Amino acid sequence: MKSDDRPLADPMLVLREEFDDWAILFDPDTGDSFGVNPVSVFIFKHLDGRNTLDDIMHKLSVECEDAPDDAEQYVAEFIDSLVQKGFAGFEQ
Amino acid sequence: MENGKLNYPLRSLYFYLTEGCNLKCRHCWIAPKYLAPGKVAQGLDVKLFQSIINQAKLLGLGSVKFTGGEPLMHPAIFELLEVVCNEELDLNVETNGILCTSELAEALKGASKNTFVSVSLDGADADTHEWVRGVTGSFEAALDGIRNLVHAGLKPQVIMTIMQRNKNQMEAMVRLAEQIGAGSVKFNLVQPTERGVAMHEAMETLPIEELVELGNWVEHTLSASTNIRLVYSHPLAFRPLGKMFGDKGDGWGLCGILGILGVLADGSYAWCGIGESVPELVFGHAAIKRLEKVWLETNVLENLREGFATKLEGVCAECLLKGICLGTCVAQNYYRSKSLWSANWYCEGARKAGLFPETRLKPKVVKEKNL
Repeated sequence: MKSDDRPLADPMLVLREEFDDWAILFDPDTGDSFGVNPVSVFIFKHLDGRNTLDDIMHKLSVECEDAPDDAEQYVAEFIDSLVQKGFAGFEQ
Repeated sequence: MENGKLNYPLRSLYFYLTEGCNLKCRHCWIAPKYLAPGKVAQGLDVKLFQSIINQAKLLGLGSVKFTGGEPLMHPAIFELLEVVCNEELDLNVETNGILCTSELAEALKGASKNTFVSVSLDGADADTHEWVRGVTGSFEAALDGIRNLVHAGLKPQVIMTIMQRNKNQMEAMVRLAEQIGAGSVKFNLVQPTERGVAMHEAMETLPIEELVELGNWVEHTLSASTNIRLVYSHPLAFRPLGKMFGDKGDGWGLCGILGILGVLADGSYAWCGIGESVPELVFGHAAIKRLEKVWLETNVLENLREGFATKLEGVCAECLLKGICLGTCVAQNYYRSKSLWSANWYCEGARKAGLFPETRLKPKVVKEKNL
């Protein structure tokens, strides 16, 4: 993804958050479910078409202590994987 | 089959090696005939075993499970282990540990690069264990068996089936497991199958409310008190996501029903051990029928593969985890209802009691509930 892309999650997806900050991401179209860890939940909730990757990284660094140096790469890969699954797209 | 590859490879065969058992466990879901010490168990023929393995490897076989009856009673157990070794298969063994001498423990360890042994221990003391298992002396014998496995370099899993009689010994069992060098403890539920039915009817098992509460306690409190892995065998809907997924997750621990087949002690193919008590889930004898034909052309197996994603009923139909849970134990569900698609008893019971986690249900159900 490009740095000025503004990813937007498919609004039809359902994110079911649980007591331990994990969540289930549910696709009503296919019935598929995925376990999502707390950091990924945080990222997913910021895929609102307004935040760029830089914005998300900045908010994540405020929220999470000791983020690894290569965190941005992992975040970008996570978003790309959502796009490939059809769970997110980009607002220009 | 697509592009020459099986859509459903036969990953594992479960061998119910002996018709008899040297214990009389009151919760057993297979209910084999009791064989007193000195009696020789009837077991699967070694040549037939080799033939089945040869055929199964062409279908994708990578592992075998030895269970029973009591697998270590098989009169040719060392020969069977030699076959496993020669064929370079992963090995999983479920035993009561009583016959696990140091020699046999070494043979189990040497049979595979990946040997995993589970030993049943239903009480942290002899009185409790032997009340469940029905044979005096079985507690110390099982402990000796576990020690032999540890000495051979294995990390055996202790399996404790929880019920009214032993529910207060779960923590003591974890401490005992730590002390004798076990690698993990699994807490099983008494399934309402075969002898387990009578236990449910006699209310010697635990009500759903208590089972759910104990599950939460094991997942969140007892697990935090030990370095060994604890598994509570409740359905996936009740497991924390962090324990299934992610770097520190330990997977789903489910029956891989779509990739396994059972072989009974008499040489018959069956769904799994449920074939011992449900004749329609026996698919023919290995000496007569080719395994490929059984695996690819048996109607029940085909129905199962086609229907899992869409046909599960009851609360399972509404569960977000049905795609990986597959109803937890289809054999148990079938035994109870004669339907492949009926919901799991634990999940249904929990929903009726208002204890099924709402975050694991499809949103539509939650909305309806809130109206």
